[in-house]
Amino acid sequence: MGLLDNESIPRRQMTLFFLIDKSGSMDGSKIGSVNDAIENVLPIIGEISDENPDAEIRVAALEFSTDTRWLYDEPKEGKDFIWQKVTAEGMTSLGEACRELNKKLSRSNGFMSSPSGCYAPAIILLSDGGPTDDFESGLAVLKNNSWFKSAIKIAIAIGDDADMEVLKQFTGSLEAVIKVHNIDALKKMIRIIAVTSSQIGSKSSSATDESKQKQVEEQITEAAKDVAGAESAAAPAPSKQDNYDEWD
Amino acid sequence: MQELKTGDKVNLTNGVQAKIVKELGRGGQGIVYLVDLGGKQMALKWYLKAPDNKFYKNLEENISKGSPSDAFLWPEYLTRKEKGSYGYIMKLRPQGYYEFGQYLLARRQFGSFEAMLNAAMKICEGFYKLHLSGLSYQDLNDGNFFIEPQTGDVLICDNDNVMPDGRKSGIMGKARYMAPEVVGGKAPDKYSDRFSLAVILFMLFFGNHPFEGSRVLACPCMTETFEKKFYGSEILFIYDDNKENRPVRGVHNNVLRRWPAMPKQLQDAFKEQFSKEILSAPDKRMIEKKWKGVIQSLRDTLVRCPKCGNETFVSDSAAPVCMNCGKLLDLSGKLVLGNGREILLTPNTTVYIDDDNNPDIKVIPVPGDKYPVQLQNVTKKNWVVETQSGKIKSIEPGACVPVRTGLKLSIGTLKFEIQ
Ligand SMILES: [Zn+2]
Repeated sequence: MGLLDNESIPRRQMTLFFLIDKSGSMDGSKIGSVNDAIENVLPIIGEISDENPDAEIRVAALEFSTDTRWLYDEPKEGKDFIWQKVTAEGMTSLGEACRELNKKLSRSNGFMSSPSGCYAPAIILLSDGGPTDDFESGLAVLKNNSWFKSAIKIAIAIGDDADMEVLKQFTGSLEAVIKVHNIDALKKMIRIIAVTSSQIGSKSSSATDESKQKQVEEQITEAAKDVAGAESAAAPAPSKQDNYDEWD
Repeated sequence: MQELKTGDKVNLTNGVQAKIVKELGRGGQGIVYLVDLGGKQMALKWYLKAPDNKFYKNLEENISKGSPSDAFLWPEYLTRKEKGSYGYIMKLRPQGYYEFGQYLLARRQFGSFEAMLNAAMKICEGFYKLHLSGLSYQDLNDGNFFIEPQTGDVLICDNDNVMPDGRKSGIMGKARYMAPEVVGGKAPDKYSDRFSLAVILFMLFFGNHPFEGSRVLACPCMTETFEKKFYGSEILFIYDDNKENRPVRGVHNNVLRRWPAMPKQLQDAFKEQFSKEILSAPDKRMIEKKWKGVIQSLRDTLVRCPKCGNETFVSDSAAPVCMNCGKLLDLSGKLVLGNGREILLTPNTTVYIDDDNNPDIKVIPVPGDKYPVQLQNVTKKNWVVETQSGKIKSIEPGACVPVRTGLKLSIGTLKFEIQ
């Protein structure tokens, strides 16, 4: 090996988690859109990772209904993640999903054991209802997990039946919950949130006073304004008035 | 969020219209489009979310000031504020230039150490001129450079945060490249630029990060809090006297291989710049001119090994050993300047006299000649040679001077003696 020959600089791993509610109420176009949107965003995540000297992004997905199931038993690169369509049926065991996530947010036997270390993960929770199991105790376990504490956490509330309070508790703030009212908005927001969290989560921070969590919240709230049928749960849709002409 | 479409027209402040041809790329701040400007292809950086009016005014100022050097892909025209945002026009990045990140990811590598030194020189020259004109770059990081791997030519992009030194852009930079005082909350300035510059140079030479060794590697999760520690309050150079953050075999392999091979001047420069003392005294950081001097002294000792044909730095000209084949090599001679500067010569070595990236001398083998090694004038001007007996001869571009002890060679204002 000549002295000019390089090997890649070691990169930390940033894991992007999808937590997908596949309870019976998600059946039909909701789960279809989730499948479609995630399948389509994976190659984009792959590209963001590929070009990024700070970190590589890996994807993990947990589906939950009556039971929980990881789509792969380890985080995969976007380009290697072959999406297996999720079908909807059963209950909404979000508490169990929290416990399952907690197990994997760990270096020993978990997903966080990259040899060059990690950046804090980004976790995207999608749900259209409320938990049917003991969510409180599941979340309590998770809230003691340091990986979870420092993670970027965003939730997508699908439709009016989504339990906003639960999603707020999961993410830690209402600003991190985006509400979608139609299938098109759901697809668009999955893509925007996955891309934004990946971009911000996989870069070394900008050392502004703003946390990565806040940066993601702000960017997706801003982006949601351009998506008909999507809004930040904290700031219901403002009038879409473009008063830029008076801005000079 | 205001994207543009193919065929859209944006109005420039000079009355000209730019037509969107296609998207070239996008980042957090905005999108770069290929645009047609009266038949000329240029690039438009269009902000997704229009920055404030101060930012616009600053761009306007930079455009009227003009580029500090040809190293910059400088903003050339500004658009009006329209379509919900604004942007600026710059030259297109030519073919064959790759983002610095591509080198870090080992998808590209320099064709030669000569090219690597050229890249370092060009970057230093760019920031030298930038600071000289009273500006500071503010968020210097790995995403700002495009480099041509064979020549080492560099283009510095994203010049929209460049501001008069002392003015706040509000943008802080990236933690791994930010000066520790900026990580700690101070506003960036030309001194913090100099820190970032040293980090970039280190990564260019050694292919690893200067502050990421065993101690940082052991951190399981690089949270914002840990970043503030490892790149700010407790920053520690991997070759500091304190050995707690040494590179790790199997992980930081590039620097482990290359650090011992690179000349001592370079090691010393980094050891000093990344010492506790200088890290915490921003105004004592090495100025670009001095970095250029360090790079020049590396160039002076970079020769092609006649034995194996590879480039090698020669640290001891009395006992020159090739860093590739490990053999003693024959120097054909050296050019000695009155101030003690020595430029080592072997056949097929390219010599740079001054601190630009234009070669001045090609050392060429002339087999069978009375003087089998000669110096070819590859400058555009005549040289003057004085023999030991006092004869004066003019050497035109393209012509050669034998490497013969005692000859005095004048190139421009510099007077060398061949030894
Ligand atoms: Zn050799």
